[in-house]
Amino acid sequence: MELIDPTVEGAEQNRSRAPAISDLHGLTIGLLSNGKANADHLIGKTADLLVERFGGRRLDVLYKKHPSEPAPGELLTNLCHECDYLITAAGD
Amino acid sequence: MGSVQKRVHEVQDDLLSAIDYCYEQGWTDGLPVVPPERSRVEAMLGMEGRPPETVIATHPATGLELSIHAAAVNAVMAGCLPEYFPVVVAAMEAMDKKPFTFHGSTASTGGSAPLLIVSGPVVDEIGMNSGANLFGPGNRANATIGRAVRLIILNVFRMTPGIADKSTQGHPGKFSFCIAERGDVNPWPGLNEDLGYGPDISCVVTFAGAGFCNVENHGAGDAEGILLSVADSMANLGCITLGQSVVVLSPEHAGIIANDGWSKQRVQEFLFEHARRSVADMQEAGKYMTREHERQGRDDMHRGLGPEDILITVGGGDAGGHSAFIPSWSRGRSSIMQHQAIGVCIDC
Repeated sequence: MELIDPTVEGAEQNRSRAPAISDLHGLTIGLLSNGKANADHLIGKTADLLVERFGGRRLDVLYKKHPSEPAPGELLTNLCHECDYLITAAGD
Repeated sequence: MGSVQKRVHEVQDDLLSAIDYCYEQGWTDGLPVVPPERSRVEAMLGMEGRPPETVIATHPATGLELSIHAAAVNAVMAGCLPEYFPVVVAAMEAMDKKPFTFHGSTASTGGSAPLLIVSGPVVDEIGMNSGANLFGPGNRANATIGRAVRLIILNVFRMTPGIADKSTQGHPGKFSFCIAERGDVNPWPGLNEDLGYGPDISCVVTFAGAGFCNVENHGAGDAEGILLSVADSMANLGCITLGQSVVVLSPEHAGIIANDGWSKQRVQEFLFEHARRSVADMQEAGKYMTREHERQGRDDMHRGLGPEDILITVGGGDAGGHSAFIPSWSRGRSSIMQHQAIGVCIDC
């Protein structure tokens, strides 16, 4: 008997990690919350600790429209110009 | 359009062994499947006018693609007859629309199951059940169409329970969650007409549904009494979140409401105004989300943004004052119900 496989092969995805930041001193930190309760507290406190230790500044927290949706491309593009690195979190 | 990967498994020419083989491959939902034997897959594909490699849905996070061919294989495994296949295809096309939020609704701890509501002439044409035991069991079309969607989610999109699907408690509808709208005793236009398809075109509505809430009321003899029971179910502190609602009125309830002269729109408006909790209640229960709820600009909260966020349909047996309320998945209006015409391209 011949059975047809019900699964599919995975899509090839061309993704790579951004290069690691070698020095955090004086950098601007972007903050993106997934919108769930406590996410902004988590990333805000984390950013405060980083500013205390390395200087620089943090931007206001931005929010995704819904936790389950990807962040809009325009939001990410704008953040790329405004901060040196971004902290995001899925708090709950 | 992707390529069809017709990977074939040669197995012993014995049905029970083939069923066991499907288990061994991890292709099931826990129940036995119909082995996806070649001739059955080809019969299923015969119901589609488009090439088998046509992609009808794509996983938004992983890029995994569902071809008509892969859908047919899984429909065979679910136990579908070929004439059910256009409903399966339409359901997947509806779920592929971005506002449905396919990944979130199938991966979330919230544990929703895609509820399919089929409306229009296809219901009788393929023998779906819109009457007693509407939500099952007992009808092959309802059971296997819903199951085909789940097998696709498992086998094609790899939403494996405990791995990609992190539902806290699961959902019995994750085996199958497919109903048909009852046409013969529906006092109002069907969903297919409400959604603009007209009475001769069938459609399927897909809704990321959470748990099923039975609304019992055998005592009220008027529309308001029945609908206040529905409204209370919609606004209980466990179920109330931001999102849409599905209300399946039993024929008995729908008949009483319609005999009082109520239109479907009036039912929606009544529920929107009465299915509410105060801000104080929401805060006390820890369910008040400042950023989201303040946008409603009221002192009391309804689940949706307007009466149109409440889908009203009719289904179930002739006897019984039992309707159903099904809340949407997610506390944050993350999935919006979608719809799709069924099989309209077959004759194109």
